[in-house]
Parts: sequence; C-alpha cells; structure tokens
Amino acid sequence: MIVGDLSRRELGERLAGDGLALQFGPFNLRVRSNLDSFAALAHQLYEPYPLPDSEAISDFHVQISAPRGLRRWVRRQACFGVDGHFPFAPYTVEHAFPALEWGINWCVATRSHHLLLLHSAGVERNGQAILFPASPGDGKSTLCTALVHSGWRLLSDEFGLVRPEDGMLLPLPRLIPLKNESIEVIRKFRPEAVIGPSFLETRKGTVAHVRPPADSIRRAQEPARPRWFVFPRWVAGAPLTFEPLPKSQAFLMVATNAFNYEVLDETAFRLVSDMVRSCDSYSLIYSDLDEAVNALDELSRAGDG
Amino acid sequence: MVLISAAQDIRWQKWDDVFIVYQPSSAETHVFNETTALILKCLEHGPLSADQVKEQTEGALGVGPGELAKEDFAFATSRLEELGLIDCLEAASTVQ
Repeated sequence: MIVGDLSRRELGERLAGDGLALQFGPFNLRVRSNLDSFAALAHQLYEPYPLPDSEAISDFHVQISAPRGLRRWVRRQACFGVDGHFPFAPYTVEHAFPALEWGINWCVATRSHHLLLLHSAGVERNGQAILFPASPGDGKSTLCTALVHSGWRLLSDEFGLVRPEDGMLLPLPRLIPLKNESIEVIRKFRPEAVIGPSFLETRKGTVAHVRPPADSIRRAQEPARPRWFVFPRWVAGAPLTFEPLPKSQAFLMVATNAFNYEVLDETAFRLVSDMVRSCDSYSLIYSDLDEAVNALDELSRAGDG
Repeated sequence: MVLISAAQDIRWQKWDDVFIVYQPSSAETHVFNETTALILKCLEHGPLSADQVKEQTEGALGVGPGELAKEDFAFATSRLEELGLIDCLEAASTVQ
C-alpha cells in the first residue's frame, strides 16, 4: 500500500490522529500534523511512498503542528517535534512542509549510528553507485536531480548510508529540496519533473521539493555497491573539468565529510578505507548540467565494460 | 634518548606518499608524511636510541646518513609523542 491509496481525507485523519506511518528506505516514521496545508502537500508529494506494515516499529515519531495554548492565536506557527521534544524554534506556518523535511533529515543524521552516514548524494545504475560527497552550495542536489531524471536511480540526495556489515549503500530516496536558482535550472532541464511549490524566504532561501522518479522509490530496499566517488563543485560559467583524485585526498574528503565518523571509531576508518580502496575518485567542476550528466554517463559505460 | 613505541593495534593505510593511521587508544585518525610514519614503524620491534631511529629512518627513506634534518626528525618525534604514539625517555631513566 502506498500513500496514494489513501484519499486526501483519510490521510488528514491519520495525520491528525495516531499519525501517518511512512517508509523511507530503511526507516519507518510516524508523522503527525494538525495543519491542513501540510496534509494537502503530503498527499501530493508523498503519493508514491509505501506505508509500512501495521506491526512495524517506527524509528522516529515526528510531528509538525501548531503550538499549543495562546501562541497559536497570536502568531501562526509550526513546531517540529520528535518523540515529544521540540528541538528547534518554531517556523512560520507557511514553512511547515520544508521544516518537517529538514527535521526528518536531522533525525537521520543524529540518531542513526548503526550506519556510517556520509554527507553525500548518491545515484546508481547497473548495480554500481556514485557517491557525491560535498558541502552545501556545491551543487550536489542539483546534479543528483538531473541524473535521476536521466536514467540513474536515486539513492539519496543527502546521505550516503553505509551498512557496516558489508559496505553496501542503503537507499533513502526522499524528496530532493532544491534551493534558489537550482529550482528554475531543473524546471528547464526536465520540465516533466514533479516539483512542489516554492517556499520563499525560508532559513535556507527559496526551497522547492522534487519528487524522485517512482522507480527509485519502488526500489528503496535494494542496496547498491559503491563504485565511484565524485566530488562535485558548481562554478558559474566554468568549463567541465573531470579529473582523477588521489586516494589519500579522497579519504580525507570522505572522512571529514561524514556525520558520524568519530562516533563509529574504528568501524568508520575501516569502512571509509575499504570504500576509497575499491572506488575510483574524481573531482568534477561544472556549470552545464548536460555536460556533467554526459561525463558521468560515460564514466558508467566505461565501468560496465 | 631512547624512543619506545606506545602505539597499540594501530591501523595503517598507505596511499600515494601519505600514511593514514588510525589510533584505537584515542579513536583518532592521523595523516603522516613518510618520515613520521617510518619513525613509528622503526619502533615496532622494540625500543631504540634516537640516533638509531634516525639512522634507520634515513635508510628507509633512501637518503644518506645525516641527510634527514635534525629539526625535521625532532619535529616528527615530538608530534608522535604528543599524540601518545611514542614515549621519549632519557637514557638514564631507562636503566633504572
């Protein structure tokens, strides 16, 4: 069963009642909300996501709700909560949807230490995955969105989830939050992409969410083998530069980029070492999405051969 | 001066001319150049005098005796001591 099997009314009732159970890759969530505007968007953008079995245990109980008491009448706000705690200052109610999406990422980043968490986008084709570790603003979400609308499968635009037992990447194909100019870039690149409304003046500028292709969501329980690290950087007007990177440099860039390298200690050292040893690493500077996608397609074809 | 390894169960990964070392006792990952890594490796089989370590390191680096600058050697050993990977003892204290 998927979210789309629920009517808008049923979904609203679940959100306002015991919560809507959702499955995002390896995580089960229960989401509660008493905001109508949130329910309408959730129905649209979460439509292809699966609902877990009724007996499934939820990893996180999250909510995005109007505050209690007088405050809800003074100023229209939305508070993100997890397991009954409210870790962030309230958001304006118009930003409830991106606030919940960020909150869920925060839960994954701070509470999933059974996995190595790389700050990285990831895509897969023919069983081989590319990881894109990058800092905010380097264009990893934009590039990742372009790739998943060009024949690649989305693993995640934010997390490289590495399973310690075998080094495989677990998909977490959540909505992709595009920011500012990237929104229009993707609208032009792939007009058929499903993009939600633009939220103006959020804490991260203008944000709009891209729904991943249905195939990526359907295959969310299918791990992938890491094959390449590509460190992207978008530079306005720059010609495409795609160059191999020394392994020592790749190791440092991956390790320093992980959310929980220090938490996992030796396991993290082993996993990052193994991945860097078995993957080829490149730096990619780009300004044109078509050129970047072509270069990565070519890399994939060469890897298949 | 006598140098003694204090590194236990450390993990090595050599790439290019860089050694990446994981130190379980501090849960830290270090990046060493060849000189620093070779000093640590010299001490894997037991304590040595500082002069012996310098000679062996020069041999492993493929440079002639005395060619490794004293300042570079001293900097590397003090860094290793600071990290708790080696102990530097005065010769007299090792006799006691």
